[in-house]
Amino acid sequence: MKRLTGLQKQVLALYGGFLRAARAKAPEERKKIEAIVSEEFHRNAKEVDRKNFIYIEYLLRRGAKQLHQLKSPNTISMFTVPVPSPPSKPLP
Amino acid sequence: MATISATSSIRFCSSLKLSSSTTLQVNGRTSTVKVTHAGWKSKSFPSLRCTGFRVSCSAKPETVQKVCEIVKKQLALPADSELTPDSKFAALGADSLDTVEIVMGLEEEFDINVEEDNSQNITTVQEAADLIEELISKKSGA
Repeated sequence: MKRLTGLQKQVLALYGGFLRAARAKAPEERKKIEAIVSEEFHRNAKEVDRKNFIYIEYLLRRGAKQLHQLKSPNTISMFTVPVPSPPSKPLP
Repeated sequence: MATISATSSIRFCSSLKLSSSTTLQVNGRTSTVKVTHAGWKSKSFPSLRCTGFRVSCSAKPETVQKVCEIVKKQLALPADSELTPDSKFAALGADSLDTVEIVMGLEEEFDINVEEDNSQNITTVQEAADLIEELISKKSGA
């Protein structure tokens, strides 16, 4: 594998964090959470322009917040609502 | 017929000088050979960390087997697909996100904790198995 950039490492660490946090949840919910998280990471990996650092950093911050919420024992499940797809290119 | 018994002792001095003395006994006649091998005269011992030294003991077959099964499950490969210890995850169609999934699956299966730095360097089944053995032995040793 090629050497990873700092940003890539952060993304992978965040993904690992989500998968670890999901282990603490009920088996049914865990499956759903893993499906949602996996879908979102893979979709963004495909759709987001790799040079769109601002947007990737925004996603990282948002992900970190969501992970923080997920880690709370009070959080038992996760839902998503479809949203219009964000711009994949940086705004001029 | 000559009976030969040899005893050798290896001593590590504080200056990391390695010396060994060998005693040979041949039919009652004793001759002592003193051999001084190499030594590190300088204070600085070559750091194992800097040289990228890694203890690579080949992992147990059952560990490799278990890793193969988990990799197959995570990548949704057909059960009869060929998977050798040298198979690269990338060649099996896995991107870096899939690799994280594999490592998380391994963590849970073997009840270990892989640090992010290590997990991102794993590219083959063999590497994963070696790392797992290392972590297991570290855990049982601690």
